[in-house]
Amino acid sequence: MVSRDSLKAYLYLSPALSVILIFFLGGFVLAFIQSLGYFPAIGQENLTVRYYGEVFRKPEFFRSLRYTFYIAIVSTTIATVIGTMLAYYLLRSSVKKSYISFLYKFPIAVPHLVAALMIVFILSQGGIVSRLFLKVGLISNTASFPAFFYTQNALGIILIYIWKEIPFVTFMVYTVMRNIHTKLGEAATNLKASPGQVLFHVILPLCMPSIISASAIVFAYSFGAFEVPYLLGATYPKTMPVWAYLNFISADLSARPIAMVINMIVSLVCAVIIFIYYLSTKKYFGKWS
Amino acid sequence: MYRLKALRRIVLISILVVLIFPFLVLVVWSFSQGWASNALLPSEFGLRGWRYLFSTQSAMLSSLRVSILISLVVTVLGLIICIPAGKALGSYSFTGKKVVEILVLAPIIIPTVAVGMGIQIVFIRYGLADTLLGVILVHLPIVLPYGIRIFASIYKALGTKWEEQAKTLKANGWQRFWFTTLPFLFPGMISAGVLMFNVSFSQYFLTYLIGGGKIITLPILLFPFVNSGDRVVASGLSLVFILTSLILMFAIEKIITDPEQKTNFYYL
Repeated sequence: MVSRDSLKAYLYLSPALSVILIFFLGGFVLAFIQSLGYFPAIGQENLTVRYYGEVFRKPEFFRSLRYTFYIAIVSTTIATVIGTMLAYYLLRSSVKKSYISFLYKFPIAVPHLVAALMIVFILSQGGIVSRLFLKVGLISNTASFPAFFYTQNALGIILIYIWKEIPFVTFMVYTVMRNIHTKLGEAATNLKASPGQVLFHVILPLCMPSIISASAIVFAYSFGAFEVPYLLGATYPKTMPVWAYLNFISADLSARPIAMVINMIVSLVCAVIIFIYYLSTKKYFGKWS
Repeated sequence: MYRLKALRRIVLISILVVLIFPFLVLVVWSFSQGWASNALLPSEFGLRGWRYLFSTQSAMLSSLRVSILISLVVTVLGLIICIPAGKALGSYSFTGKKVVEILVLAPIIIPTVAVGMGIQIVFIRYGLADTLLGVILVHLPIVLPYGIRIFASIYKALGTKWEEQAKTLKANGWQRFWFTTLPFLFPGMISAGVLMFNVSFSQYFLTYLIGGGKIITLPILLFPFVNSGDRVVASGLSLVFILTSLILMFAIEKIITDPEQKTNFYYL
């Protein structure tokens, strides 16, 4: 016997769930089926896991996985640390609140493509910084300016992500931090806690769930992102999503299942990261609430 | 203590400069006319880029129209879908709620790249590829998580007391929603709307894959400019892109009476 409330809830949820199930998870399931080799267009209807084996045996696989992890971990870590610091600075500073909220919301409205373009204009060999170095005589010609793009160190890509994600982290952490600071932070100060003690023993632990959730989202985004590494990444290795796409558009139709296998691996990594975040916030919530 | 304060201020200001500086570069580029490859600043300023963008040769205005149309439809449909879903998650407890909560977050967790490549084949089969409808349908699920979370938290905070109050006054279902709940939802509708619009407005991959180069939105137009092409035009195009979402964001923010309150709902 299903309760009346349950029925009603599912009735209210039905439009949202149908859209997500059909147009999102449907696509994911189709990708999964295709990763098992189901591809009637070229006469393949038997399910097999051999494409998984094929991908794991490719020499590009570990290089690509490592490159993608490297970009995602470095950019997420830096964005989380600076974003959290900025949130704390904003909290303590006497700068007018309205200016601040205007300034740090600004980059959130900027799409990744535009962010990429702006950072290219600044850091590429024909960019502003390179011109500045030339002007003050640090380099003799623009070609000797260090390369940020199309390189294996992916510095340009990481900087684009950091620039874009810092305000996002700040945004998510600041709202929580402000509530804690005005309530518990002041209580701790009254009990003669130093600002450092308030930060490390009160504010940061209580903000942990929002810090972790912000960085999990940032990580999942940068791990699964396509545009920026496609446009500005190294020739070799490619990030996983770019590698998947190149297989997807390959004239050789038998590369399709390979693309889908790579997609499955990317999705699995993102799901695991979010799951870890979920577990850790549960731990924190259990501990503090 | 004073030195610490000064240091703090320097750090803060330098971070903000890093965030803002790129916009200035774009503005300077978009108005430059002659800029030698080794000069720090342009030798001549002019409107060449802007004149080109607003001319009939450039697809800027038409792609802006297509972009706004798609994102507006996605936002409106998204709001209509998210409000009841938020109500279900915010004010009912039911079997399978945990599963549903994870399901509605799926579009943030699973990369759109995987979903897009998987679904393209079906969209082609049913004639949805290369159409506006197809692009709208594929944008829709990725904006839903943001809206559902916002409305769920509003409904949760609201509780059932207001609706019950209206019920005792013999208001019927629609009246209760229209006159009692909707005013409470309004700020959330605005922040969810802005957010959903932005997510759809800046979407590249799904538009490209499902639109198949036939549906030209601003991100599609801008894409090739990131690593090649006319930097003056590229800057102007980027500014149009940013200004459209900023104008929307701040115009709408002005309407709301309590901007401090709404930031809590802003991003997830």
